[in-house]
Amino acid sequence: MSDAALTPTAPTRIASWVVICFLLLPLLVIVPISLTDQDYLSMPVDGISLRHYANLFTSREWLWSFTQSLIIASISTLLAVSLGTLCAIGCWRLGNRISEAVRLLMLLPMIVPTIVYVLGFYRLLVDLKLLGTYLGVIISHVVTGIPYVVVIVSTALASFDLRYDQAARSLGATMSQSIRLVLLPNIKAAVASSAIFAFIHSWDELLIVLFIAGRSIFTLPRRIWDGINDKLDPTMAAVATMLLLISAALLFLDLALRKRES
Amino acid sequence: MSALQDAASPGYLDRAPSQLRRRRFQLGDNAAFYVLIAPATVLLLTFYLYPLLQVFWISFTEPKPGFGNYALLLSPSVTRVALTTLRICVITTVITVVLAYLVAYCWVHAGPRAQRVMLLGIILPLWVSALVRAFAWITLLRRDGLINSALAGAGLIDAPLPLLWNEFGVVVGLVHYMLPYGILPLAASLRSIDGSLMLAARGLGATRGQTFSMVYLPLSIPGIVASAILVFIFSLGFYITPALLGGGRSMMITEYISIQIIEVLRWGLGTTLAVTLVMIIALLLAVVSRVLDLRKLFGAK
Amino acid sequence: MNFTHAVRDVFDRPVRRLASAGQPALAGAISVENLTKTYGNAVAIRDVSLAIGSGQFVTLLGPSGSGKTTVLMSIAGFVSPTAGEIRLNGEPINHLPPDRREFGMVFQGYALFPHLTVAQNVAFPLRVRHRPRTEIEDSVRRALEMVQLERFADRLPRQLSGGQQQRAALARALVFEPSVVLLDEPLSALDKNLRHDLQAELKDLHSRVGLTFIYVTHDQQEALAMSDEIAILSEGRLVQMGTPETLYERPATRFVAGFLGQSNFISGTVEQARRDAFAYRAGATLLSQSGGPQQRDGDSVTVTIRPEKIRILTEAETADNRLESRIASFSYHGGHYHLQVDVEHVGRIVLDAPTWRREAPSIGQSITIGWDEDASVVVAS
Repeated sequence: MSDAALTPTAPTRIASWVVICFLLLPLLVIVPISLTDQDYLSMPVDGISLRHYANLFTSREWLWSFTQSLIIASISTLLAVSLGTLCAIGCWRLGNRISEAVRLLMLLPMIVPTIVYVLGFYRLLVDLKLLGTYLGVIISHVVTGIPYVVVIVSTALASFDLRYDQAARSLGATMSQSIRLVLLPNIKAAVASSAIFAFIHSWDELLIVLFIAGRSIFTLPRRIWDGINDKLDPTMAAVATMLLLISAALLFLDLALRKRES
Repeated sequence: MSALQDAASPGYLDRAPSQLRRRRFQLGDNAAFYVLIAPATVLLLTFYLYPLLQVFWISFTEPKPGFGNYALLLSPSVTRVALTTLRICVITTVITVVLAYLVAYCWVHAGPRAQRVMLLGIILPLWVSALVRAFAWITLLRRDGLINSALAGAGLIDAPLPLLWNEFGVVVGLVHYMLPYGILPLAASLRSIDGSLMLAARGLGATRGQTFSMVYLPLSIPGIVASAILVFIFSLGFYITPALLGGGRSMMITEYISIQIIEVLRWGLGTTLAVTLVMIIALLLAVVSRVLDLRKLFGAK
Repeated sequence: MNFTHAVRDVFDRPVRRLASAGQPALAGAISVENLTKTYGNAVAIRDVSLAIGSGQFVTLLGPSGSGKTTVLMSIAGFVSPTAGEIRLNGEPINHLPPDRREFGMVFQGYALFPHLTVAQNVAFPLRVRHRPRTEIEDSVRRALEMVQLERFADRLPRQLSGGQQQRAALARALVFEPSVVLLDEPLSALDKNLRHDLQAELKDLHSRVGLTFIYVTHDQQEALAMSDEIAILSEGRLVQMGTPETLYERPATRFVAGFLGQSNFISGTVEQARRDAFAYRAGATLLSQSGGPQQRDGDSVTVTIRPEKIRILTEAETADNRLESRIASFSYHGGHYHLQVDVEHVGRIVLDAPTWRREAPSIGQSITIGWDEDASVVVAS
């Protein structure tokens, strides 16, 4: 068939798998390191050990950071997903110059480097006396997370037939009934997918927290950052492995959602 | 016809009430949609756009009003950082796009099972925190890291190779981070190329290599541009990987900005560099938007 | 057949209820007055006026882009007119949002909600009206019986055949007892045989429930077979409205005659105009035509004649207009031959000849054709 002229040659194929290995192997290497029986970062020497995990799960600092990150990411996700979904629906139905401008605004956080934004946001929080507060961190994670939600939900809406909405309206549903009973059930996979994105966005966010979190808020990324800069020990590898597993789990969840959708 | 004449005409009174009602209905219906977009928009305007504009403002007003900060852009320390940044970003972009093209090409033309495995290999790193990835590279590349100990163990080297806390380490980490962003838009573009064109070229007597270089490659240029621009822009503004793998020695602009703010408290210079960074990105996007749909570029993620 | 019972059962009630509320028993008269809709500079419909009587089956017919769907969507409330008024039983409804117009609507492609079962789809209009659960169950069951889908209540729409989906959409549009049902090309997605069956079913349903049906289609045969009245639209304007017989037999314009079935058009110049008839000359041929007190000598005129109204004449037979012709081509259609013949001065004429009348025609054969002066109609060109 048409592929005959396009099938990559064997060397090309091998080279591409080498690149894939380059992408994956460095990630996987932290797993054995986290199981090392030594006190420094190395491969296991005389056998594997779980004591670095034991260290991790008995460390008040790590557990407290984990809890803080979970709280911040959950609240940010909830807000970003609800506000972002409503915004995507509004833009979709308006389809005018204003909604175009809003969509453009939503692209900004994806284009502008975080370092630029965080300078201004720091000053704003100083003015509002919100430096070092949960509220400040959550606001920043919500406004930078909303764009992902808007983009993902908008993509799903683009393939949603407007006639379903018209049918609902003609059958007596008010606009909000039509959104609740017809629109949302049909885009729920995309909304869930956007929630996963918004969660990861907040869960992994470092730079804003470094600037505005003050002394009291130590999210997981911030503690890892400090750990890498201060003491590189195998507990770090255990943390990294846990995060790797969480990311992988969320990825498979997202893939499953998208599969069910199609 | 003037409004007064309109009002005086016999039909006006019959028509007026329903027209007024209709207008209210139209507004009412749309007003509901404005209510939907309002919270997110107001939040972004207040807590995203306003701070961003303030960065511009500060760059012109602190420590004193004027273009003084922008004159500092030509100082030796800033130009050194700028050149380092530019060099690292260009090298990263070139390597990333070449490797991304290779992977995207094989991915798009692989069998369904190989496609699924490759998809995982491409997007799993995308989902893993940059910190975790940087940590993984540190364990591999540092003086007594896995690579150096393996090479020494095999007797290939006497002294450890300097792999980390220099430009080499930064480029390796950046290429690793940017590869998925390079592959995805390229693959989307390659997928849209009509395969029968290649058959036609072969049928007209072109060799495999000629078909690739004269038909396939030119058709994939939009994808290459999209991929390169995305990688270059993300590299310019990226903080975590260069800061961790560069170890303060090959400093890029983002780290330099953060030092201006956190350590030397020179807000004027910090914001000026930030504004310059945004301007460069905006300029790049403005040029590229003539050939590419930017919404697609950032929505295709 | 229990179909009939179910229908009576469901639709006895609304009629009684409306009557007891002191309104006329059959409320569902729609009038559209000088409706215009423009999008920027583009005119979708211009100055369309229609009066649709209560309980009528009225079809909006026209080629794509004629504005028929815009008219329907304006009535439904999805398109807000640039000018003009839409009334239900005399009351203006332009200001009402779609959900308060209480019209049942069947969409092109049905728009059955993909995440709900058939029963849940049919229950939807009652659910959004917050009707009691038992009443909903009851009405849904009867509506599904009416369209013979009881057994499919718990299926999802994508598990139904096209015809079943169409019936489900119909049940959903009728279950909340609207006075007017709007149907937007409801049969266009179905294959030909099924379409014929459902046409009959739909027509039957209409005559039982006595509701006003406003039906949009581009299929002329469908419109002729089903409608009490047809409104023909072209390029955003209403061209002619009337019963199928009127439109077919007495088309007002060349467009209507050509759009509804096949027709021959003969142009000529009027001579010998009288009170109830006139003659017109096409080349050297003089033809006679009844009607037309408005014609005067020297006017140019276009006359249309349907293929089945043209007879093949023997020596003995007579007709008001008699022409010599030569067969250019023919095809066999079982019940008739379809002939294309050339007539000097007049041009190419098509006609249908019953197969039982004579032996098979042959190309080049000379035949005499003819028609009476009241078989053809003057149209505006």
